[in-house]
Amino acid sequence: MAGVAFKKVSKVYGKDVLAVNDLNLEIKDGEFMVLVGPSGCGKTTALRMIAGLEEVTEGDILIGERRVNDVPPKDRDIAMVFQNYALYPHMNVYDNIAFGLRLRELKGFLWQLSHPGDAKRIKEDIDRRVREVAEMLGIEPYLMRKPKELSGGQRQRVALGRAIVRKPKVFLMDEPLSNLDAKLRIQTRAELIRLHRALGITTVYVTHDQVEAMTMGHRIAIMKDGVLQQCDQPEVVYRHPANRFVAGFIGSPPMNFIEAKITGGKVIGGELSFPLPAGHPGLLKEGESVTLGMRPEAIFDARLAGSVPVNPENTFRATIDVLEPLGHEYVAYLKVGDHPILATLDTATEVKVGDVADFVVRLEDLHLFDANTEAAIR
Amino acid sequence: MKILRGAIIALMVLAIVGPLVWVAMNSVKTNTELFGSPWSPPKVLAWDNFSRGWNEIGARSFVNSLIATVATLVFLLPIGAMAAYIFAKFPFPGRGTVYALFLGGMMFPNFLVAIPLVLLYRDLGLLNTMHGLVLAYVAYSLSFTIFVLTGFFQAIPEELREAAEIDGGSPSRTFWTVMFPLVRPGLVVVGIFNAIGLWNEYPLAMVLLSGENSTLPLGIASMAMAQNYRADWTGLFAATLIAMVPVLIVYLKFREQLQEAMVAGAVKG
Repeated sequence: MAGVAFKKVSKVYGKDVLAVNDLNLEIKDGEFMVLVGPSGCGKTTALRMIAGLEEVTEGDILIGERRVNDVPPKDRDIAMVFQNYALYPHMNVYDNIAFGLRLRELKGFLWQLSHPGDAKRIKEDIDRRVREVAEMLGIEPYLMRKPKELSGGQRQRVALGRAIVRKPKVFLMDEPLSNLDAKLRIQTRAELIRLHRALGITTVYVTHDQVEAMTMGHRIAIMKDGVLQQCDQPEVVYRHPANRFVAGFIGSPPMNFIEAKITGGKVIGGELSFPLPAGHPGLLKEGESVTLGMRPEAIFDARLAGSVPVNPENTFRATIDVLEPLGHEYVAYLKVGDHPILATLDTATEVKVGDVADFVVRLEDLHLFDANTEAAIR
Repeated sequence: MKILRGAIIALMVLAIVGPLVWVAMNSVKTNTELFGSPWSPPKVLAWDNFSRGWNEIGARSFVNSLIATVATLVFLLPIGAMAAYIFAKFPFPGRGTVYALFLGGMMFPNFLVAIPLVLLYRDLGLLNTMHGLVLAYVAYSLSFTIFVLTGFFQAIPEELREAAEIDGGSPSRTFWTVMFPLVRPGLVVVGIFNAIGLWNEYPLAMVLLSGENSTLPLGIASMAMAQNYRADWTGLFAATLIAMVPVLIVYLKFREQLQEAMVAGAVKG
């Protein structure tokens, strides 16, 4: 087992397409690290560089203590689960899982002929390990089937089986859940977490789905345009996003952003005005433009605020434009003046579309971002 | 519209099956009956036409044709597949040019190089040998084989190669254990098309072989020429039918896979 480290890694495609830009990232031994970001952010390129499927233009990649830039994929002791599973269509499930073991452990045909005893022992060992993994993943009944005779979920398990049977140092997963339907995805998500706990193998997981990132990762690394934006535990990223991009990307529904100004110790944007707590670094930016960020879940119906104190300082009045019932909550599209604001409301709310009502904000959950650099002011 | 379509299909079937049936029918007539009523079914079945036809073309040329066809395919398919794999999956400087050169071979009538080839073969001592013929056949069939197989390899998702690479496969092991089996439909297509072409190949065999060493088309051609002096047309029909049978068997055996490959043309996971 081993950790993975990116040291000042850049990847340039062709002459000037910068896919990954000066990436520094340390993935600890046994950690579940999620690389997340919109498409084209460089996360898959980063993963493929660990695998050795893409050359590193600049910088070093380390697996354990070893620099692997020039090590071919098969000698890196990694396993990868592809988005489309990449099962060998002409082999049955058993052979798909055993393929890597046979390639690595069984030498050529002539060797097998001249060492029948050793060959038999190795084959038995491979058989035992394939069956063990199959049992662990619940695919034992399908061992003799071809991939095309399996459902999406079963194929996914076979792909996982092929990866874990070798007990590699590092697992690489490239959006492995994106071809599954919603229900199966949630189920498999939990299974992957369990699997990782059981095996404890360093895992690098790429996804564009922030829910997957939040629920699965020990830490998540958010990327944009080839640049690492923030890497931390999910709660930390959610509560203290490093910049406006991270704030908008993590969280669903996304954070509301309002162009505002710091005036007299308050942040004022349109009709919204909230006081900044004493000692907030935003107070030092008096007169400057900032972006105010409010998470939809930090906004409450004033009549149902619960533990959030209701006072004139944290209350604003808004018109309810659209109300989407999700069952366990409402997603409300509010209008403050001309400014649209998203809020998630308790289902006990009595507000109706077209109503004008009071809403409160948890002041400690307000975020401020520099209007120019977009970095968080905190 | 439906009737018109039916009529067109019927006409096409007639054009293909008609001659076949006609040859089969006339191969069991007597010579007198053939000239008396060439279009009617045979009244008496003259099976001895076949023994005459077989003796005339000679078992040797039948076996030679079999050897030439099978040996060519044995070398052609792996070599063609390896080249096509490289063209399809590994970009290298000058790939387009080299590929175009190979494809250019398809447009080059092989009898145009007959004379240089004969001179070359004479110097190399390959003239009038079966391995010499096979060598020429492999070279001439490569363009078409590479052209078709490149398409099949291109249709294989890149991830399969990468998965095999990560699993520990060397480039050659990956090719033989993963890639080659996956283009099986393509191999069937080029196998059958080449087999038919090689089985019937006349010009190259004509210039490269002589005397005892002949292939089936040469045997039949010489038999047909002999009809200027002798009149054993029904024997010729029987010999032609004998020559057609192996190709028909191969086609019938692989018919389903051939149709599948023509329709799909791609490998799906």
